[in-house]
Amino acid sequence: MAVEVELFGQFAVGRQAHLMLEASPGMTAREIALDLGLSPEEIGLVSIDGVLCELEEAVPGDCRLCFFPPMTGG
Amino acid sequence: MKLLRVDMRERKVRSEPVPETYQHQGGRGLTAAILLGETDPTADALGPRNKLIVAPGLLGGTGVSTAGRLSIGAKSPLTGGVKEANAGGNAGDTLARHDFKAIIVEDQAEPDGFYVLHVSRDGAELVPAGAAQGRGTYASAEWLWKEFGEGCTILSIGQAGEFRLTGAAIAVTGEGEQRSNIAARGGLGGVMGSKGLKAIVIDKAQGQSVPLAEPNLFRAAMKRFALELTNDPKLGPKGGTHMYGTAAITAAVNEMGSLPTRSFSDGSFEQAGGLRGEHLRETVLKRQGRIGTRCMPGCVIACRNVYVDDAGQPLVGTLQYETIALVGSNLGLGDLDDVARLNYMCNDFGLDTIETGAALGVLIEAGLAAFGDFEGITALLLQVGQGTPLGRLIGSGAAACGRAYGIRRVPVVMGQAMPGYDPRSLKGNGVTYATSPQGADHTAGNAFGARNQVNPLGIEGQRQLSLKLQIISAMLDSTGLCLFARPPVIADPQLMVDMLNGRFGWGWSTADLDAANRAILRTELEFNRRAGITPAQHRIPEYMRREPLAPHNVVFDVPDSELDAVFDEL
Repeated sequence: MAVEVELFGQFAVGRQAHLMLEASPGMTAREIALDLGLSPEEIGLVSIDGVLCELEEAVPGDCRLCFFPPMTGG
Repeated sequence: MKLLRVDMRERKVRSEPVPETYQHQGGRGLTAAILLGETDPTADALGPRNKLIVAPGLLGGTGVSTAGRLSIGAKSPLTGGVKEANAGGNAGDTLARHDFKAIIVEDQAEPDGFYVLHVSRDGAELVPAGAAQGRGTYASAEWLWKEFGEGCTILSIGQAGEFRLTGAAIAVTGEGEQRSNIAARGGLGGVMGSKGLKAIVIDKAQGQSVPLAEPNLFRAAMKRFALELTNDPKLGPKGGTHMYGTAAITAAVNEMGSLPTRSFSDGSFEQAGGLRGEHLRETVLKRQGRIGTRCMPGCVIACRNVYVDDAGQPLVGTLQYETIALVGSNLGLGDLDDVARLNYMCNDFGLDTIETGAALGVLIEAGLAAFGDFEGITALLLQVGQGTPLGRLIGSGAAACGRAYGIRRVPVVMGQAMPGYDPRSLKGNGVTYATSPQGADHTAGNAFGARNQVNPLGIEGQRQLSLKLQIISAMLDSTGLCLFARPPVIADPQLMVDMLNGRFGWGWSTADLDAANRAILRTELEFNRRAGITPAQHRIPEYMRREPLAPHNVVFDVPDSELDAVFDEL
């Protein structure tokens, strides 16, 4: 299944920021992060189609998955 | 420490000892206590009985990282309630080192007379504003530096403040030629203008330091605080706040569907890529501007930037998230150069970019320009400086514009424009807007940072979250700390207690600190109650409860009963 992935902030430094992946059914956000070389401990925020989710959440097909580093609002 | 009282009518200045009731107060807590203790909450906010109070935080002047913020308070002509707005720059640090706990500006000068308050080591005096009158904040600072010396710190209003507009702000200078630290919210620039006070000039506090009651305790806590900020993954040298500034969150807010877009009619903006912190950093570095500078002496976070044009000339410093949201996506503008130019104009006229961006959005809905039309929007904004009737309306804020043009989609609470988080998809902020004595003000309790603990799209837990955040904000605003510096003192309140005990020798416990923070909110709520503010004035606008916001198609649905219960456990 196709998953659109976008990396933000420092995660995009030295990596491709926007890519399309073929993911296996049932694959979690954590597994995709690891495949991309992201350390789960360094991830501040994950969203699927704009809705915040846990790293353990299974990623549906045809979705947009975003990884953000830790961040804070003023 | 001393209080400096300024009588604008008699043009007399006197210093006096700090009464016992104010001893444990600083910053926002002190401005609220003085307003409740010394003014009639029903007084005309732009009249002689209101007071403008300028106060460093409790830790001002000590060298604690980020603790140099300056609180400015008065009854707000915009909300009709209590107001505190704070800014970085050098003033908080310098005033504290001059041993002033607060400057209290009272009464009013003769009509159209404008003065400068000059504060020096030996005292203070009022002098005519001279050529500063009629100028914007940038030119005023230039002229005042020539008159009083380049090292002075300057607080000034622009044309908007001189016109006593309710969206007017106060600009505070910082290190070097930094002139764009803004105490923005609530129309405090209009209050300063109503007093006939164009500027406050504060001499350098060279060689002066604040006394420490327990130096060893203080220094150990201060050092640990700075170390923890530096080690924080969000705030340290490799953290997003330092690398991308406050704009680090633009993409996340957009992704969450909470980015004000085209006058709060959408929650995500198709051109948001051009407004992101990542793009800001890349652009500024490519053009040889500056990233990762500080707005206050000793700040280890250093989130400030100097945004430059393609010739390397400064357009504005610093370009921040709230401005990017309200003057960018909210107006359909996706080019940071355009946002920076509008930001400069707002700063120079002495306007709150949040209020002004919301006002312009309302006027666009009324047909006076088009979303994305930079030239049309610029032409509208220029009128503020020119003092035309329409310009004065824009400078009076979003609610005034909505009333004048019959627009009912006006994103305000208590008459004050919402900042860069649509409350329909970040409901915790909606609860803060709808309950804070400060009105729609994210700095009173921003739930964005708690998005992992409470679902921003849900109702459950928002009431408790907002109260917790409002108490924390009261603490930060009263000690002079930047909101970004909250993680270490939330994780370990004893750290804050040690810094306060080390500075003042109070022997406080964490329970004493918590009680003091809660008391600040109680004081503000009592002021508003006496001012006649009711729950109805706090409600989120009706259209946001009825019209779903894309992309999540959600309304603000936190029940009124939940909102009315926020302070039950205060």
